[in-house]
Parts: sequence; C-alpha cells; structure tokens
Amino acid sequence: MTTNKMLKIERVLAVSALAAVLAAGTSWARAPFTDEELAAQKAALVESIALGYDLWHGSRADMTTNGLACGNCHPDTAASNPQTFPKYMTMYGKVIPFREMVNWCIENPQAGTRLDVDGDDMTAMEAYAFYLHRGKEITPGLASEQTTPIVVEYGTGFARTPTGIGVDNRP
Amino acid sequence: MSDIVDHSRRQFLSFAGKAGLTTLVAQAVGINLGVVDIVRAQTGKRGVEPFRFAIVSDSHLYSMPDHKFDQQLAEAVAQVNAMTPLPDFVLFGGDVAQNGTEDQLVKGSKILAELKMPLKIIPGEHDWYLDMGDAWRGLFGDETWSFNHKGVHFIGLNSILVRDFWTEAGMTPLERMTVMEMLESPIPGPWGVHEKQLEWLANDVKDLAPDTPVVIFTHSPLWDYYPRWNFQTSDAPEIREILSKFDNVMSYHGHVHQTLYNRIGNMSSVAALGTAWPWPYPPVELAFPETRMNRADPSIATDGMGTQVIDLSGSFEGLVQYKPFEDSLTPFMRDGFKV
Ligand SMILES: [Fe+2]
Ligand SMILES: [Fe+2]
Repeated sequence: MTTNKMLKIERVLAVSALAAVLAAGTSWARAPFTDEELAAQKAALVESIALGYDLWHGSRADMTTNGLACGNCHPDTAASNPQTFPKYMTMYGKVIPFREMVNWCIENPQAGTRLDVDGDDMTAMEAYAFYLHRGKEITPGLASEQTTPIVVEYGTGFARTPTGIGVDNRP
Repeated sequence: MSDIVDHSRRQFLSFAGKAGLTTLVAQAVGINLGVVDIVRAQTGKRGVEPFRFAIVSDSHLYSMPDHKFDQQLAEAVAQVNAMTPLPDFVLFGGDVAQNGTEDQLVKGSKILAELKMPLKIIPGEHDWYLDMGDAWRGLFGDETWSFNHKGVHFIGLNSILVRDFWTEAGMTPLERMTVMEMLESPIPGPWGVHEKQLEWLANDVKDLAPDTPVVIFTHSPLWDYYPRWNFQTSDAPEIREILSKFDNVMSYHGHVHQTLYNRIGNMSSVAALGTAWPWPYPPVELAFPETRMNRADPSIATDGMGTQVIDLSGSFEGLVQYKPFEDSLTPFMRDGFKV
C-alpha cells in the first residue's frame, strides 16, 4: 500500500468521525417515531391486550360449549408459558406454536370452536399472554417442565404484597 | 331433592349430638377430670379416639346437563365411599357451584347426598354472590358451625366475605356474581370472615382447655399465600390469635385446587384438591415446596384433581393422604405426610 493511499484513508476516517460528532450534537437524523406515534402504538397494543383479557375470560361465546374459559385454569395466564413455544406437546406428538396450544384448549377442555389463527382475536389472546410474560427468558421447553412464575403487573390487582414464604408479616 | 339434603343434615346432627351428649354426661356427673385423665393415658391427648375424615372440594358445577364436572364430583363421592376404613364424615370445602345458581347448588347437593357418611360444608365465593347465600343456606344450613367428634373440636367458618362493592356501583346480582367468579378479579379485594364470625369464634372456644384438639375449616387458606388470587383470609391473623392458646390446631381449606402444606405457630395448614380443575402454583416461594404436586398435564382430563383423607391418631397427629384421580403426586407425597 502506498503512503498516499494510506493518507487518503486516514482523511476519510477523520471526516467520518467529524460527521459522527456533529450528528450526535444536532437533530440531523430524526427519531424513528414521534412521541405521538409511540403513544398511538402503545394504545393499539394495550387495546389488543385488553381484548385478549376479555376473550381469555369468556367474552366470545363460540369458544366454549361447557362454560369454561381459559381463565378457569389459567388465572393471569399462569401456566400457559407462551414464551416457551414453539414446543413439543404430547397431545400433538410434535412441536407446535402457542396459537395451536390455545386452539387445543378451546377445542378440548372448553369444547368450543377454534379461533382463526390469523385473526385479530387470536392475536389479542397472544398479546395478553405474552404481555404478562414479558421479561421472561425465551426458552423452548418440554411439556413436563414446571410453569414459569409470573408476577402480574398488567391489571389493577389489589395492592397487597404476598409474603410468600408462609409467614404473615402482619402482627 | 330437599328430602335428600335434609336427610343428610339430620343424620349429621344426630351424630354430632351424640358426641356432644357424651361430653355433657361426663361433666354433669362431675367426673370429667378423671375421665379425661384415664382416657388420655389410654388414647393420648384429651382422649381422641382415632378416626378419619375425608375432604371433597371445589366441584364448580355448571348448569348444563351431563357436564363433565358433574361426573368428576360423582367420581370423588364414589372414591370416598370406597375408602377403607370409611371416613366418619366428609367436609366439603366450598365452590359447589360455578355461577352460584340454585340449580347448580341443588345438583351438587344431590350428588353429595350419595355419600355414605354425614357431610359438613362451608361456602366458597362461587356459591354465594348471586343471592348472598340464600340458596346455599336453604340447602346446607348455617355456614358457621362447630361440633365435637371423638374428642376433637371441629369449626367451620365462612371466609369469603368481602366489603360491599356492588351497591354504590349499582351492580345487579348477576354482575356481582360475575365479578366474584374471576380469580384474578381486580374489584372485590381481599376477603375474610369479618367481625361477627371472629366474635363467634372467640366465644366458641373460650371454655375449651388448651390441650383440646382443634380442626378449623375454611374455603381460603388462613395465611397470606397469594392475595391477588384471594389465596388468603384477610383476618387470618386474628383467627390465629384467637386459636393461639391451643397446643395444636389443624387448618384445612379449599379454593386453591392443589396440594399444599404450611405451618404458622401452632397451626398447620393443608389445602384440598378440587374435583373440577387444578390451579397453577402462584409465583411465590413456599416454606414447604416439597408438598407441591406435579404440573398437571392438560391432555389427561382429570390430572391434578381428586379427594383427600385425614387419619387422626389418639395423640391428635394427622396423616394427610391426597387421593388424586390420576397419578398427579410426586414420590414425596405418595404415602401421605404427618401434620
Ligand atoms: Fe374453587
Ligand atoms: Fe374459591
């Protein structure tokens, strides 16, 4: 490599570094979304979660013929472990996605009609379950493994802290 | 229908009355101390004559005919009827019904009337909030009770009382019931036994000696397990305080639909399996995690459900055995455990 060429590269690098410094101090690059856009996105997500919450608790009649809703066995979506899917489920004998597990519960314990896997209702069911499991490790799992412990933040559960280990902290 | 229920109640009253009569006679002839001492020497603390009782809980019956939960409760009844030796009586842990309607409660009382032994029962939140206990009381009687059996003092309390959230909000009875049906409902807040039953309890035990064996029965646990799902009784500390004078208190409860054991001070606490469905263990650390059951497999329709039987010894030790419909127990739990 010639000395001239090396000098040229150094000059280019120096100019790039200068550009980066300038960019950091100015508003040349716009933020990916405005605060308003972000608020609208959040609202749309919360709306889907809320729809999922309703469906989970029996708002759609054709999801059951025996009165059971998802919430009967899965309060706060506990023991549904959405973030561990796709995983092997014994009732299928193969690896399935979470939405198929939802439909299995609708068709079997609830004796209802499966949801359209591409519909907004199924997306809402997933939005609710995944939202409650946010922050949990995505670990493809086995059917027999213990459920993921989740502490619920969504929803306005009454404000008392469980003491957990079997001693009341009240006098 | 009411004949069957009345029959089982009468049967129970006569049996409870007999135990009470023995005590009264002994006291009346002024030999209670001597009798107690002799009996204690033979059979242990306060003369407990060894016996067993079973617990069936949380059948959550729906109104549809031939619902699978009807069959599951019937299976529990058959399981208890086939136990050898037979339990002296059965405690039902609440939540007979899912939506608190009279037809569901009547259906439950008919299935439970097939039990070969007397039944004692306390209410769950699913039984109560449509008509504030009217139908339940009509079928099953008082929800606050005590009786003596073979030297043990049994107490039942209604632990599912909440503050009035419906009047001001203008809710219909059905809306009120719907709020209470959801385990994680944000509206009602923590429930408990409230002041009147605390007074009743204090009065009920005030003349009992500290070495009296006591069993207390409620729908919800008498400790803070997971308040968000009302796996708690808000005035449990007061209950435990009233019962703190006793050497040994056993608490049994429904509502959590799972195997569970805990101990606080002089009180052991044991949960009942439901017959309708199992509930997940909430995200809290347990003092005795080894008493959890296996994770229920949804492809096995009655996994994680069943009944339980408790054998009380002459020294008022209890052997708790869960009797699941399926193979739901860990090896640790299979042969039962002592309380
Ligand atoms: Fe229950
Ligand atoms: Fe309950």
